[in-house]
Amino acid sequence: MFENTLDNYAHHNGLKDTNTLFKVLFAISTMLVSLISISPVVPLIITLVMSFIIIFFAKIPWKFYLKFLFIPFVFAFITFIFMSIFFGVGAHILELGFFNLAVTADGFNLGFLVLARIMGGFTCLAFLALTIPMTELFSELERIKIPQIVLELAMLMYRYIFVFLDEAMNMYHAQETRMGYISLKKSFKSMGMLASNLFIRTWLKGEKAYFAMESRCYNGSIRTLKEPESLRNIGVRNLCLFITFEILLLLGVYLTGSFRIFEIV
Amino acid sequence: MEGFLPWQWCLFWYIVAMPVVAYGVIQIKKITDKQPESKPLLAVSGAFVFILSSLKLPSVTGSCSHPTGTGLGAVLFGPAAASVLGAIVLVFQAILLAHGGITTLGANIFSMGIIGPLVAWLVYKGIQKANGPTLLGVFLAAALADLMTYVTTAIQLSLAFPVPSFGMAFNNFMWIFAITQIPLAIAEGLLTVVIFDYIMKLKPDILENLKVIGPKVKEKVQAVV
Repeated sequence: MFENTLDNYAHHNGLKDTNTLFKVLFAISTMLVSLISISPVVPLIITLVMSFIIIFFAKIPWKFYLKFLFIPFVFAFITFIFMSIFFGVGAHILELGFFNLAVTADGFNLGFLVLARIMGGFTCLAFLALTIPMTELFSELERIKIPQIVLELAMLMYRYIFVFLDEAMNMYHAQETRMGYISLKKSFKSMGMLASNLFIRTWLKGEKAYFAMESRCYNGSIRTLKEPESLRNIGVRNLCLFITFEILLLLGVYLTGSFRIFEIV
Repeated sequence: MEGFLPWQWCLFWYIVAMPVVAYGVIQIKKITDKQPESKPLLAVSGAFVFILSSLKLPSVTGSCSHPTGTGLGAVLFGPAAASVLGAIVLVFQAILLAHGGITTLGANIFSMGIIGPLVAWLVYKGIQKANGPTLLGVFLAAALADLMTYVTTAIQLSLAFPVPSFGMAFNNFMWIFAITQIPLAIAEGLLTVVIFDYIMKLKPDILENLKVIGPKVKEKVQAVV
């Protein structure tokens, strides 16, 4: 499954030994810079830099990464077209020739900015998703005092998502070997059976696992032997690089603030 | 979607969503302290929301259409608890699948985690008060929660991009959402009914303890089984 490979990469990538806190800080602050930028230049730079880091430092295969990036890109591109046609009130720069529709300068600018922002933000998110395993994120969250019950539920939920997928696969294969998907009508029936049983099966399985844990003194948190990481472990060099990078980006935001592809007359 | 909303709106929706989620955490703590055995059901409902809301169809408006699944959680545990489930799911989606996004989390929690469950809960309780059939209540709760989530999203989007005016933008967004979302909402409603029916037959006690169904409905269900 797609989710499984994503999780695999999170556990086996070139940056897996880097300080988790540092990775989170880096991704979130870069994302924020991309967000506050009012010209498309800085988000596009962020997209390139992040992709570079993901492919060459985290060593995620570029084919997988591009496939991963393709979905949001298509999505962002459709948004861009939609906005450039419907969101402008200024001068027309391209007449479409039907329904009186036209691409307007300010619509185009706004659409392109949103496209750039989506790609900038998405690559930061991809960096988070591809380099940090879920379990490590949980231990970081515990340190910033997220209530324990929330983390416990989140942990159970995380586990149950995989139980869900597992059960779904098992049931699907079982149905398929019994000719469950041989015709359209049968497919509908099988799908319905699968969907309705899936919830119950996962629930029962999850409950069993929960009771098994509880009878072994589970009290809401799974303790690991991992040493807590601190900001000090990041290292002076990395920290300096990080701060310089963010300052440069912010400077870029300031300098390119008035840049537009089409000047509004 | 990450980076879609301007930062002022991101902040605004965070501020609106946070108190509700905090209240939800207190509610969940109360439920699980009283009945620790409801934890697996809570987590499975959450996983259910996650699976359903990962089934995305792109629609052209800076957001995707997908079933939300929050109706079931809201009917079972109340809107406040469901908002916490929604919040956790949205964080997972952002980090695990890179859907949704961290910066737009506040807005997403508000539409999918707060308005959706609230509508579901009100509809379900309303039909129960009127002595309507339980399953009809569940169907309407799930379907309307799904629809209202998207109406809220359309409002949020047109507030952020009121071009040329709020009304016009809202109109545009609503039309596009309506095409993809109404069939999805009906499908989700039906699925939720099937699941709820099973839970009622299998474990009526837990539903009664959570005050989802009254003792009368329980007796009727048990008589059938």
